[in-house]
Amino acid sequence: MKQIILLLLLLMAAPLHAGQKLLMVRVNMKAQQTMDVLKETVREYGYEVAHVQRCDGGMAKFHYKSDFYRVLFFGKLAEVRGILKAYPELAPFLPLKIAVIAEKNQTVLAAMDPTALARLYGHHPVLDVQFARWHSDLQAILEEMRTFRKPE
Amino acid sequence: MKRTLLALLFLLLPPSLWAAPDGKALYETHCSVCHQTEGKGGIGLPLTQEILEQLSDDYIAKTIRNGRPGRIMPSFYELSDAQVKAILQYIRGWSDKPAPVFPKVTLKGDPKRGKPLYMKHCKKCHGTDGSGEGSGTGVTLSREREFMVMPAALNNPGFQRSASDAMIADIIRRGRKIGHMPSFEGKLSEQQITDLVAFLRTLRPPPPIHGMKEWAGRPVYIMESPYGFKETVANLKEALTGANFRIFPTRYLEQGLADDFDVNKKQIGIRFCNFKELYHLLNIDPRLGTVLPCRINVIERNGKVILISPNVVEVARLFNNRELMEVAVVMEEIILDVMEEATL
Repeated sequence: MKQIILLLLLLMAAPLHAGQKLLMVRVNMKAQQTMDVLKETVREYGYEVAHVQRCDGGMAKFHYKSDFYRVLFFGKLAEVRGILKAYPELAPFLPLKIAVIAEKNQTVLAAMDPTALARLYGHHPVLDVQFARWHSDLQAILEEMRTFRKPE
Repeated sequence: MKRTLLALLFLLLPPSLWAAPDGKALYETHCSVCHQTEGKGGIGLPLTQEILEQLSDDYIAKTIRNGRPGRIMPSFYELSDAQVKAILQYIRGWSDKPAPVFPKVTLKGDPKRGKPLYMKHCKKCHGTDGSGEGSGTGVTLSREREFMVMPAALNNPGFQRSASDAMIADIIRRGRKIGHMPSFEGKLSEQQITDLVAFLRTLRPPPPIHGMKEWAGRPVYIMESPYGFKETVANLKEALTGANFRIFPTRYLEQGLADDFDVNKKQIGIRFCNFKELYHLLNIDPRLGTVLPCRINVIERNGKVILISPNVVEVARLFNNRELMEVAVVMEEIILDVMEEATL
């Protein structure tokens, strides 16, 4: 039974193409609106928005012109707390994040594929399942964003 | 119960295994994020009518399969022939001209005669070794770049495996307006073009880039501090400032997830940036935000204080971008120096 559930999780997490190391989608909306919808979508998947890093603002302060370029950090407290307790070496990759990059009237969303970390962590059985779960959630969130249509 | 789960398992099988491939859907899933809707170009090259008229179906199919190692474009080797064909048909729908077909014969030129021609006519944009001059990839939309379209990396194994001699010769003859590549029709003889193609076939990719051996294959840099938590944090900030980084306000790792009273104050992330470098790096690869901002974590656990940073070389590998790897190797040294200084 456990094996079937594990198989299900891994299958759901199987990347669309195995060489894929970043998860990316294009959204047919301006960046600010995309960020707003992304925050809502992330919450619908049970995550809390931790904060938004305004890379564009930081660069602008130093006179480097950039379009909307921000990073959304999000996580589940119990999950983050549990993982940091058991595996502090995962700290640099927590909370999860999605970059929001303006491309004129469209927006590119990009995230690191958590399953790409599995090899670096030596295919640890517990972490592999965790990476697969995150992958599955990230892919679902990004797919919802890609196919999101503004209400008429 | 088992039967239900197995039925669920079947339903979760990728639709590609049981449905006819839909080129538009496949393009939107795999390609549009970089090449943009209808091939207008973004992080990836534009697929304009002018470009499509120069590329054979065979070349595009092989490019999808081979990708461009070190040049962002991933390899989609797991797509079926039918799926690649469906994407091709969809892309071809944007152009009213049929796909060119080139003979697959090897042109018999002399690379020795082709080399001086390359150095005279091609080196300026494609680089001495054929890696392509200029920083970044694709077209610029958010930031300024030297070239609207980056010159092709002619030494890239993905290009070499995908392009036929005849197709390369045809592009040399016709040029390409969008990349400001001039036409050499009438400027070079057929024999000279053949010699040039022969020389291009001798170009080899630069050797792979490696970080420090002792950290290779490890996800993070991790060091134990002999100091207390507060002192380690202060040391780290001082070391980062000394390395010319600007430090952001400190954040607890749980901040924003737990309320302020409940947050673990012995787990923090020191975020830092050099905005000039960041701007340059975003030109090289706009996807870098997936690993931003630079951060070294300080964690106290079981009475020990440890510093942890992502292994930037291993993380950079995820981007399939050689330029980024070159920077990551430099960054690795800087971050390790900072961590060592803070824990000396």
